[in-house]
Amino acid sequence: MGFSRYVEVGRVVFINHGPDAGKIATVIDIVDQNKCLVDGPEEITGVQRQVISYKKVSLTDHKVNIQRNARAKTLKAAWAESDTLAKWEGSSWAKKLEAKKKRASLSDFDRFKVMVAKKQKSRIIAQKIKELRA
Amino acid sequence: MTKQNTQPTRLYVNGAILGYKRGLRNQYNHTSLIKIKGVDSKEEVDFYLGKRVAYITKVSTPGGKSGTKFRVNWGRVCRGHGSNGVVRCKFARDLPPQSIGGRVRVMLYPSRV
Amino acid sequence: MTGRLRVLGVAGPKKAAKASSSSPGKSARYYPADDVPRPKHSRAKKHNPPKVRPSFVPGTVCILLSGRFRGRRAVFLKSLESGLLLVTGPYKVNGVPLRRVNQAYVIATSTRVDVSNVDASSIDDSYFARAAAPSGGAEEEEFFEKDAAKAAIVSDVRRADQKRVDAAILKVVDATPLMKNYLGSKFSLNKYDKPHKMIF
Repeated sequence: MGFSRYVEVGRVVFINHGPDAGKIATVIDIVDQNKCLVDGPEEITGVQRQVISYKKVSLTDHKVNIQRNARAKTLKAAWAESDTLAKWEGSSWAKKLEAKKKRASLSDFDRFKVMVAKKQKSRIIAQKIKELRA
Repeated sequence: MTKQNTQPTRLYVNGAILGYKRGLRNQYNHTSLIKIKGVDSKEEVDFYLGKRVAYITKVSTPGGKSGTKFRVNWGRVCRGHGSNGVVRCKFARDLPPQSIGGRVRVMLYPSRV
Repeated sequence: MTGRLRVLGVAGPKKAAKASSSSPGKSARYYPADDVPRPKHSRAKKHNPPKVRPSFVPGTVCILLSGRFRGRRAVFLKSLESGLLLVTGPYKVNGVPLRRVNQAYVIATSTRVDVSNVDASSIDDSYFARAAAPSGGAEEEEFFEKDAAKAAIVSDVRRADQKRVDAAILKVVDATPLMKNYLGSKFSLNKYDKPHKMIF
């Protein structure tokens, strides 16, 4: 199987490293083999227009329909039209990130509650399996 | 006697002894370098500063009041070392060379949280 | 004023007060016949009790890190004059009695229990002072028996206090679901836990 995600104009990328880590952005232009120009758009994702190394980004499944070097305004409109933010937030990738973040923010008591809930869940599952086997 | 077999509670983090503080040609045995498990950056070191470190060895002759076969050399985390989460520790007695590559326990006290 | 400077010829504190009240600006008329012992100026430092970290608020659930209750969770009641923390399990839930602990060996969590109805005012540092051992007259047999484990004798006062405090806390603890189980459980690091990244 070949690749399905390409570095191309309009590709939505996830930033792994640096001050914008954890945010998503759109590829606006390709500078060279090592870096590309990205823009959030800032109003939606909080990433300013900047040149960024491919090392610092991961490609996502999502793509926005824009021209090369699109203005911020057109980019924003394209995002709104394709509802990209909602698509990203609905992806399992984003959900996992969210869950990770939430887990990290739990207090000691919260972690205990999660542990109890997990136990209850596995007990229910084990019981069901037992019933089905019987 | 089941009390001994209850679920163990681990209240320390493992660390590995990398060697001594040193320059290119000189080695300073009074300070040991320790890599704490799960600590990979300078920022994360902060939590461990001042924490007590235990280097535990097993010996053949029981010692101490309770006749234990374990001996502990206590130390403290002094400061960070480099930018990858290694720390410098000082021990009550300098660590012996055969301890290099060995384990230490980094306790959670003195606590600052 | 006179405490710092040892000026000769100044009367003792009582007389000086009298003299100054009767005739201000005049020195005392009589020298005291006897030497009035005055404490020497001392540079001895007075140690203030350590400050308790702001994360400790009465009712904070904390994790004990060392000693025979290590790993246990307990409720912080108040800080004592010595700078030690007064905690209780509650005893009924996890076996931690009313106890003093050093804050260095305790992690404060963000969980709070309402302890406004708990009266711990009668408990201070002297409450925990050990009863003086009966001096002398130790029989030989007793001497040898000392090594044998003796059951700890808990005084009735302590037992009553523990009961009273426990009852008050348990009322609140029972109101929060799972809180009782939480206090009864032990804290432990698991394989991939990183305490420096944890929020307590």
